[in-house]
Amino acid sequence: MTDFCERLNEWKGNRLMPMIISKSGWLGLAFFSSFLLMAALSPVLAPYDPWYRFEPYLPPDELHLLGTNDLGQDILSELIFGSRASVIVGFGAALMSTAIGTAAGLVSGYFRGMADEIIMGITDIFLMIPQIPLIIVLAAFLRPSLWLVALLMGCLWWTSTARVVRSKALQIRETGYVQANRSLGFSSLHIMLSDVLPNITHVVMPKFLLSIASAMIAEASISFLGLGDPTMKSWGMMINFAFSRGGFLNGLWWWYMAPGLCITLFVLSVVLLGSMLEERESVSLRLQ
Amino acid sequence: MSLTGRKAARYFIAIFLIITFNFAIPRSMPGDPLTNLLGEDVILSDSSVQELRSKMGLDKPLWQQYIEYWQSILRLDLGYSFHLHKPVSILLQDRMKWTLLLAGPALILGSALGAILGARAGWRSGSRREKVHTGILLAVYCTPPYFLSLISLYLFSFQLGLFPLKGLYSTGSAADIAHHLLLPAVMMTLFTLSRNYMIMRGSVLQEKSSLYAAFARAKGLYDEQILFRHIFRNALLPIITLLALDFGFILSGALFIEIVFSMNGMGSLIYDALLSRDYPVLQGSFLIITIMVVSANLLADLLYSRLDPRVKWE
Amino acid sequence: MTDLQDFMQGCSRAASESMANNQAILSIEDLSVSFETAMGRVMAADGVCLKLHERETVALVGETGCGKSVVVSSIVQLLPGNASVRGRAIYEGRDLLSLGEKEMAGIRGSEIAMIFQNPSLALNPIIKAAEQIAEPVIIHWRLPKSQALDKAGEMLRRLGLGNRAIPGMFPFQLSGGMNQRVMIAAAMILSPKIIIADEPSKGLDANSADEVMGEIARLRDSAGASLLLITHDLGLARKISDRMAVMYCGQIIETGRCEDIFNQPLHPYTKALLNCLPQRGFQPIPGSSPSMIEPPEGCRFYPRCPERQDECCMKAGLQMVRILGPEGEVLREVRCRLY
Repeated sequence: MTDFCERLNEWKGNRLMPMIISKSGWLGLAFFSSFLLMAALSPVLAPYDPWYRFEPYLPPDELHLLGTNDLGQDILSELIFGSRASVIVGFGAALMSTAIGTAAGLVSGYFRGMADEIIMGITDIFLMIPQIPLIIVLAAFLRPSLWLVALLMGCLWWTSTARVVRSKALQIRETGYVQANRSLGFSSLHIMLSDVLPNITHVVMPKFLLSIASAMIAEASISFLGLGDPTMKSWGMMINFAFSRGGFLNGLWWWYMAPGLCITLFVLSVVLLGSMLEERESVSLRLQ
Repeated sequence: MSLTGRKAARYFIAIFLIITFNFAIPRSMPGDPLTNLLGEDVILSDSSVQELRSKMGLDKPLWQQYIEYWQSILRLDLGYSFHLHKPVSILLQDRMKWTLLLAGPALILGSALGAILGARAGWRSGSRREKVHTGILLAVYCTPPYFLSLISLYLFSFQLGLFPLKGLYSTGSAADIAHHLLLPAVMMTLFTLSRNYMIMRGSVLQEKSSLYAAFARAKGLYDEQILFRHIFRNALLPIITLLALDFGFILSGALFIEIVFSMNGMGSLIYDALLSRDYPVLQGSFLIITIMVVSANLLADLLYSRLDPRVKWE
Repeated sequence: MTDLQDFMQGCSRAASESMANNQAILSIEDLSVSFETAMGRVMAADGVCLKLHERETVALVGETGCGKSVVVSSIVQLLPGNASVRGRAIYEGRDLLSLGEKEMAGIRGSEIAMIFQNPSLALNPIIKAAEQIAEPVIIHWRLPKSQALDKAGEMLRRLGLGNRAIPGMFPFQLSGGMNQRVMIAAAMILSPKIIIADEPSKGLDANSADEVMGEIARLRDSAGASLLLITHDLGLARKISDRMAVMYCGQIIETGRCEDIFNQPLHPYTKALLNCLPQRGFQPIPGSSPSMIEPPEGCRFYPRCPERQDECCMKAGLQMVRILGPEGEVLREVRCRLY
């Protein structure tokens, strides 16, 4: 029964492949692209310049669909421009952590031995250190800026990508064609780039997406504490101001509901995309 | 080095690194190390600045400062907060117990519920009810904990007036404290639950297709008997370490929830320290939090090695 | 090829089917199993008819992937969700395939038990051996755990694993052969009426395989149970079974008493299969088995059959030929145009 079931799973997997994107995947993709568009086209989409001051604490009306904040800035415009901070930090941190993680995982999984031990040791240690408190401490000392936050997160999150890349690299290392190439005398770097790397993209993509999600939540958390970049509008900062400058106690719920919902939806969309990719990866694994 | 030896080394190295980091940061960040050590909210006369400088050992060579720093750590002296006029360790002690009161039970309850519900969800994956539950908890998972707290604070305290708006207690009685703690505890539980649920669900989904589950079914086990007699244990083991690693994130979440509910725990302490750039408090808190997280990992590792017979019997 | 008479249509129940003195305890009628896959519909089993009588051992033999496991798994409804099963499996007057999961759960393990292929994977690695054996007792008979564990210990002793340490050990600490015996103990502890053994000796070395089969045979005899044995090992089938059914590409192509089939194989595939045995010269069968997604019309062995005729590849008219004995019992069945 076992090998029949295995073959069955392969066939089952084959059936799912044509169904490229699941329902939740569509939802995720829709939200994700909307937010990306929002970030890219902020100047076009926003009704006003988010820094321009009108009358403060205005409730929502036709002129200001989400009212104005304590400085009189239009909240809707803030919201739209705020997507940029999330996108920059999210993608920046994710790109960096994925790059470092992939490199580390490749070296670790391919060369094994001492390099593997050291890198894995570092990974374990990094995984244990609480990340948001660390970022808080560092951000408190340094002048807050978006790039700094992205950089810090990138330096902290490479670990889980490294783990996953490493196990895949270990697998691929033992396959026939890699062995063949090694015996033919190709340099390790060449093999890693041409043989191993293309095969790990399936594994790296979902991790990339999920790190975008983590980075966005972290950025929102940091900005909420007031450590965000004062030169940019960010959703977390909006909630921070709403909380600390009378938005909450005065019942101006639209001030913080809007950015909060945006954070949640953006993260949700990334998570849905990421888990959909992960599922496809495990399905296609069974295919092989 | 044996496996346990290597693992133990990792814990020590982690703590060692953090302490070194705590030492290095104020001395390497831009600005006058003295300010970095004292905090920015401190006004001093010139003479006291000199005094403090030598008292803090800033005129001694770096390696000597390092050793003295270690010595003070081992004496549990984490510095002095000029902003709040108390030694940092006292401050942390005071606040820590409130944080633990809030986070402790919520963590345990949230983990247990999350594991059981998540296991059920993985087992019944695909059913309509499961999809709804998972959808809701996924939304919770993606929401920053402080935002969820803000919403609930607004709804239940502000609008409906069911719960107090801030603080840990008004009258100090046990019932009163419970009343104040309820909403934040619920938030904390939900937060932990959502994370454990997702992880457990994934693990059960993987174990579901295993051969031993099929054999259990062939022996006549029915539905959830298979889940709780077999799959649950097997799914739980690999994720214990995952859950422990998540502990750091959950603890950070607890801090944020405290801030939103204006509770007198570590969260508010850190928040105030941030506003006034009270570096000693920040660093001390960071150290304590890290030690807690590392200990949690250590505990999880020990727990795992006791629970998994394959490791125990090696 | 000579004393073959009567032609019967398909699997009609018109002829009296009971062997002298024995009733059919399990009657598989026209069982077809198909799976929906992206590459099309896979017909894993097509119109399978098989009878298992009381106290009888029937061996289901064939190449890997011919559908043997699918057939037996479908009887106890253990197939994955995307399978569609047609036909009937009559046990004690009820059609097993029509029962709900709860009723099936009541029958599995207590009346019909299955032994899987891979003992080390089929047992839960982190639960003690004795507990896994005691489980059917606890579930079906509702005995308290201590009593159930005692019974489990007894079973282990009967199977030759009397060492006191073994009940408390975990599967990863035991060898493949020992694990197989643990699985057999778990399957047989409630003395089921029907045992289904799916390649029980696979993956074991020759010695352990012999011992394991011996245990199964002994337990079967003492419990008076029927055994449905799946194997690709013809020699093994001959040793312990009464009758044999040969499957090819999802269809049963020959049944009969073991000795009869060995002495006088009727279907060309059966002949070829016997020729693969070491005693007969290790002669392989040319070609490979057809895909089950688009099985060939007509006789499925046609492309590889050394005795084929032109009409063999045509669909119409290919049925199971029954050879009846003096009292009307079915002596042999063969699905071949030559007869």
